[in-house]
Amino acid sequence: MTDFSMLWLRVAAVLYLVGLTHSIVTLLRRESRLFQVALVSVQAAVVFHFVSIAEKTFVTRHVPVGNFFQTASLCAWLSAMVFMIVYWRYKFIGLSLFVFPLVAVLTVTAAMGAPLAPWANRQVRDVWLLVHIVLVLAGYAALLLSAGAAVFYLIQERHLKRKQMTRSYLGFMDSERVPPLATLDMLITRSMSIGFVAVTLAVIAGSTWASIEMGVRWISQAKIAVSLITWGFWLLMVFLRVSAGWRGRKAAILALIVLGFCALTWAAHVGLEPLLVQ
Amino acid sequence: MRLLLTGLSHHTAPVEVRERLAIPEQALAETLTALRQRAGADEALILSTCNRVEIAVTSDSEAAAGAVRAFLAEHTTARAGAAGSALGEYLYELNDREAIRHIFRVAASLDSMVLGEPQILGQMKAAYAAARAGGALHGILDDVLTRAFSVAKRIRTETGIGRSAVSVSYAAVELARQIFGDLKGKTVLIVGAGKMSELAARHLHSSGCERILVTNRTHSRAVEMAELFGGQVIDYDGWKPRLAEMDIVLTSSGASEYILHRDELRRALEKRRNRPVFVIDIAVPRNVDPAVNELENVFLYDIDDLGRAVEQNLKARQREAEEAEQIIEGEIERLIGRWKAREVAPTLVKLQQQLEELARAEMERVRGKLGALSPQQEEALAVYTRGLLNKIAHGPLTEIRRAAARPEGEETIALIRRMFRLEE
Repeated sequence: MTDFSMLWLRVAAVLYLVGLTHSIVTLLRRESRLFQVALVSVQAAVVFHFVSIAEKTFVTRHVPVGNFFQTASLCAWLSAMVFMIVYWRYKFIGLSLFVFPLVAVLTVTAAMGAPLAPWANRQVRDVWLLVHIVLVLAGYAALLLSAGAAVFYLIQERHLKRKQMTRSYLGFMDSERVPPLATLDMLITRSMSIGFVAVTLAVIAGSTWASIEMGVRWISQAKIAVSLITWGFWLLMVFLRVSAGWRGRKAAILALIVLGFCALTWAAHVGLEPLLVQ
Repeated sequence: MRLLLTGLSHHTAPVEVRERLAIPEQALAETLTALRQRAGADEALILSTCNRVEIAVTSDSEAAAGAVRAFLAEHTTARAGAAGSALGEYLYELNDREAIRHIFRVAASLDSMVLGEPQILGQMKAAYAAARAGGALHGILDDVLTRAFSVAKRIRTETGIGRSAVSVSYAAVELARQIFGDLKGKTVLIVGAGKMSELAARHLHSSGCERILVTNRTHSRAVEMAELFGGQVIDYDGWKPRLAEMDIVLTSSGASEYILHRDELRRALEKRRNRPVFVIDIAVPRNVDPAVNELENVFLYDIDDLGRAVEQNLKARQREAEEAEQIIEGEIERLIGRWKAREVAPTLVKLQQQLEELARAEMERVRGKLGALSPQQEEALAVYTRGLLNKIAHGPLTEIRRAAARPEGEETIALIRRMFRLEE
């Protein structure tokens, strides 16, 4: 019997991407009319996903948690199911901002558990990689901006909280020249959201590239694990901020933590050179 | 022509004296005319505000100072009866450079009771307009005053003298701006409709806060205040449930215990998804539990905090004032330099004319002896003469200009005038 589980999984991944699109639009536009479409799409994806897992279980005669890809797939499906239950019970739409990207990225990753088609030609390969790199850099730039704003936020907030009336701090800065807290807060949120979108697309582009390039072993690389963890933190930060109303001090500190993770990812990728000159 | 300034201010005279001397606006024109006649003044200006009464005149007469003093004494007596004559101990008298400095400092609000306050410049401009309308300004004093206005403007833009808030209610607005940026669309709740809260509310309203809600134990007072800003009234028992709507809460109720606690505000914050709240507690005893300030995204300022802000801002203004004084010194030099240059201009012209006249006369004397000259020779002779004259004139002209810029330069100029027989 032919095993179609990978095909169903890939169909599910594509459908989950609609959910991801909803999250992205919500972050960038501050509102989304896409939710209903995304919900239907994710529901369909959950069904395909279930079929995929069930088929795999049937074929291999055990629950498919044998490798990272299978675990990621199961984890994604369970997350989607949990969301569906929470949504059905509490109508917690805000949670979709967190769950949809998570499920989409996990499923896309899992869908690369079997080798994809080889590169059509070298140019496609190079452009693909370039897109990934540009997206990552755009994301980092946005994150740097939000981290910078976060530093000023923390300074200005402390200044106002402690009621230190000295007009200048840091020795050179005039409190009047630092934008108001509300402006900084908005800057942090906007640049973080835009950065998140860029990095999410970069993660998808990067992992598909790596998968085509290296087959199934791409996932075992440490730097890829670090990237995924960084992305996870970023996702958490954006969710807490947009949905749970984390703003001000906490959000500023979160932005700085994510910046730290990104620095780590960057460090892990410094060894990318040999791969490029292949 | 000498510039003379006589007057008194809050630095030298108590309010009882200042009020006796104050000249009402409608009497200004008449007083100016009387003053000019009495003091034999060419120009005159009267600046009368609640903190100062000052008279500036230009006059050639040595007796002008005495005449102005006498005028002021009479003016006081006329207004306050025989009792009010002893002004001498309160008056100050400043001449020329000192007078210019004083006028510049007053215009720039360096001499004001509240350093850097902006009203004085407007008052001075009004006094200037009145004097000008009465034909009392047309020379040096006019120059000094117009210069004073631009110096004041320069100081306001180049230093931070007028930048920070120096009143409690304005300090509150400034802090609100540091938190929210634009205050447009922000909602303000006023708990307790007293005089102080009215002032603060007025500032917040004029800074863009559109929605102002008022609550007070006495309902009618709340209604009165709400009308001032087109605000709404909330029942005193009903304001806490609506706390989540408020961006700024201003309390000034007479309650003897805290009326706003940490937990109440924490719940409101949750409802407003942690959007910041600025709590201004200007009541004594305080209305708001200080623990409120421990909540994230809440900024609580009580009356002392605001007072400290004002104090710090005043200190900052004093530092800026030092820079302003330097600007003033530079401007005085420039003004005097310009006058001196204007003064020596006739000497420069006369010297050149004198030399040209000498050359022309000499040429006439010797031209006959030279016989017929070709056009080229004529040209060469003219070039020679012009060159010689310019070379001779260069030294004295430079010296005159240089001397004009120096206080002791008059002697040099006089010497040059004598050397070249410019006196006759």
